[in-house]
Amino acid sequence: MNAVEISGLSFTYPGAAQPTLRDISLSIEKGDFLAVVGNNGCGKSTLCKALNGLIPHFITGRFEGRVLIDGEDTLGLDVGSLARKVGYVYQDFENQIVRPTVLDDASYACLNYAMPDYLERGRAALERCGLAGREAEYVWQLSGGQTHLLALAGALSLEPEVLILDEPIAQLDPGHADRIYEVLKRLNEDCGKTIIVIEHHTEYIADYCRRVVLMRDGEIRWVKPTDEALQCVDELVECNIFPPQVTRAARALQERGVYTAGHLPTTVEQGREAFGDLVYTPAPARPLPARSQENAVEFAGVSLAYRSVKGEGHTVFDGLDLEIKRGERVALIGSNGAGKSTLMKLMVGLLRPQSGEVRLFGETIGERKAEDIARHISLVYQNPEQMFIKDSIRADIAYAMQVRDVPDWERRTGELLARFRLTELAGRDGRLMSGGQMRRASLAIGIALNPGILLLDEPTANLDIATRREIMDVLEDIKDIIQTAVIATHDMQLVCQWAERLIVLSGGKVVADGTRDEIFADAALAETVGIRPPEIFSMARVLKPDALCYTVGEFADCFGRGAKS
Amino acid sequence: MTKTTQKLSENLLDKFSMDFLRRQVLKNAYGNDDTVIAALDPRILLAWYLFFGLVPWFADSLPFLLSCFLLVMVTTVMARVAGLVLFIFALGVFSQTGYLLIVTLIFGGDASAVEPLLILTLKVATVSLASVTVFSGLDPDKLSNGLMWYGCPERLSFSISYAYRMLPMLMEEFQNVLLSYRLRGNPPARENFSGKVKYLCYQVKIVMQSFYPLMLNTAKRSRTTVEALEMRGYRYAAKNKSVRKIKLAALKVSWNDWIFLTAGVLVAALGALVSTLI
Repeated sequence: MNAVEISGLSFTYPGAAQPTLRDISLSIEKGDFLAVVGNNGCGKSTLCKALNGLIPHFITGRFEGRVLIDGEDTLGLDVGSLARKVGYVYQDFENQIVRPTVLDDASYACLNYAMPDYLERGRAALERCGLAGREAEYVWQLSGGQTHLLALAGALSLEPEVLILDEPIAQLDPGHADRIYEVLKRLNEDCGKTIIVIEHHTEYIADYCRRVVLMRDGEIRWVKPTDEALQCVDELVECNIFPPQVTRAARALQERGVYTAGHLPTTVEQGREAFGDLVYTPAPARPLPARSQENAVEFAGVSLAYRSVKGEGHTVFDGLDLEIKRGERVALIGSNGAGKSTLMKLMVGLLRPQSGEVRLFGETIGERKAEDIARHISLVYQNPEQMFIKDSIRADIAYAMQVRDVPDWERRTGELLARFRLTELAGRDGRLMSGGQMRRASLAIGIALNPGILLLDEPTANLDIATRREIMDVLEDIKDIIQTAVIATHDMQLVCQWAERLIVLSGGKVVADGTRDEIFADAALAETVGIRPPEIFSMARVLKPDALCYTVGEFADCFGRGAKS
Repeated sequence: MTKTTQKLSENLLDKFSMDFLRRQVLKNAYGNDDTVIAALDPRILLAWYLFFGLVPWFADSLPFLLSCFLLVMVTTVMARVAGLVLFIFALGVFSQTGYLLIVTLIFGGDASAVEPLLILTLKVATVSLASVTVFSGLDPDKLSNGLMWYGCPERLSFSISYAYRMLPMLMEEFQNVLLSYRLRGNPPARENFSGKVKYLCYQVKIVMQSFYPLMLNTAKRSRTTVEALEMRGYRYAAKNKSVRKIKLAALKVSWNDWIFLTAGVLVAALGALVSTLI
């Protein structure tokens, strides 16, 4: 019997003109590891909510067709009974945690369903998710990755046959992301769980998933085994899904007539054989940008510690020294909790160092007026919702200019709206827009005062590739306004394409600082601080140990001269 | 000199940030789980509280009130109550009765007003400190389990623990909104007196304006929470009697509980005895 059997499923949200899901039929075998891909808003999350019964029992709307879980119709079961068959981990998983301590939360569902051994079940689930030993900790002491594992444990404690995860690694660094997928792999292989992930990191799909479902406009385009699915490069790209860089590189080489085999490699391992006999020609060195001598931001002996709820405070920085020159494009990288966001908050004066000084264009931040700081430097938060303080995008963009009586602020607001293609949405509340629109709006708010320095915290997290590319274009586009920009990110493809200088933070210390060549060529460094170069870089290195290729285009240029004769 | 005062006031302002408030709330709710009071059975603590939270209102004898006051002072120390809570307590009690004393003196009263005022102060202080002891000694879950044992509906007890879960989230959102205003806003200069008044008005206005984004952001976040609660069987548990039994099975009365209760009874009895003797 199949774990999931969907036939003729259509669903329309109340008030919506178009159905979100149209005539979906899909069967998922027991023990499958399935990836659901598709662009933002194509109905992936809605489909998954139809599996755990939230649709139609909790979220009502026009529902047609049939969904069978383990042979039983979801219409005949209530959400509670379905929760024991299907576990669900949300994209915003931190809001799924409702109890204060780790064990409490992991066992909460079992307690609610009156299972006398609820604590043991919670412990067992924690053990499987690699959280053993943290039972008594409070949930706010956990890192992002651990919180995700806890949400997973909470779902797992009921021993469901099917587990659904909505974008499990969107906000995580590669180390944490690997850990999540290793846990999922064990659950799939050792415990026989059926796993469904909504995912657009195709590198992870290639490594872990068995089958791929492609969705478009509420319909299922196809279901294929992973390797076969990732071969459809053009079709995936058309749906804003980018196949692994290795696959795209092979496709690029195929177009140049260099790569002739029919099958495209999907992992570095496969690439080693497929590209084995290509000749490497080093690319011409990137010209080094002219460096200004003027310091835009300067940290001198900065120390900062957070107080915690209990016990000792947590030291973030201890005597940090760092200079950022005018005109630089800097990427701050490092694992979750390395101090990237804290560093940015220090630069805009939201946090004050306990000792040492942060200087902005030579002047100590503490002595500058808040109004003055905002004209020089601006911070765009990781979570764009937090930037919206007014009831429309227009008012939000205008706010900082309006309160400062910037001449012509109305005209400038109009220009900014046009520049970020938001004119038609100007009257909408920012919170109600899509992910990409929210990002664009938050950028427009961030540059409203023409700050000399722009700080961006994870500008591409949670975005599909198309939106991500759009944000990259915007960054390119505002180069003339913003002289100095700093981005904190886990997105190494963004780093490689955009940044001129990379600063690696680990445990509150600058452990490396240099160009991408200097940082990524140092394999030992990447290993110790948990950063990972883009897949294409590792691919090139496997073929030629001293190769330096950061993008698919560069790879195609370097290896596109043909095979060894 | 001016620099020191400036630094001091900045320091105070820093201390009184949202972050500080958030920490204090969390600390009060969950930070004291290793104290003697926290280890007590919630039913015993609630019974104890019923006595020390009610009886002082109806007693007028100074020795009795004094002994009760001393006892709750000891328990407050034992519960390691967060500083902010004690500060608010002290401010509340002494501003109230201190103000009464001043008004009495101004309108022709004399020193004889001190005694009744002292009794009033002791009453208020005893009851407040007893509440402080119980509510910071008990984490929200223990509190709700205790209430449930006494027959309060499950929904009430869940609301208590969930409110505590939500409170830090709300404050975090509030902090974020305020930070946005701080980054983009243009507060009036606060050099002289009128500037300071203007600055204060500005702050009040910002706090009021923060309400709209705060509510919307929180509502957006809690949508997931509501769905998750549904899946995790919250409604199911509310209907099921055996869940209640399982939850309450964890409650146990130990020797410490009896000692605590006996000490309370002894002190109160001693106070009552002394007051009859005088």
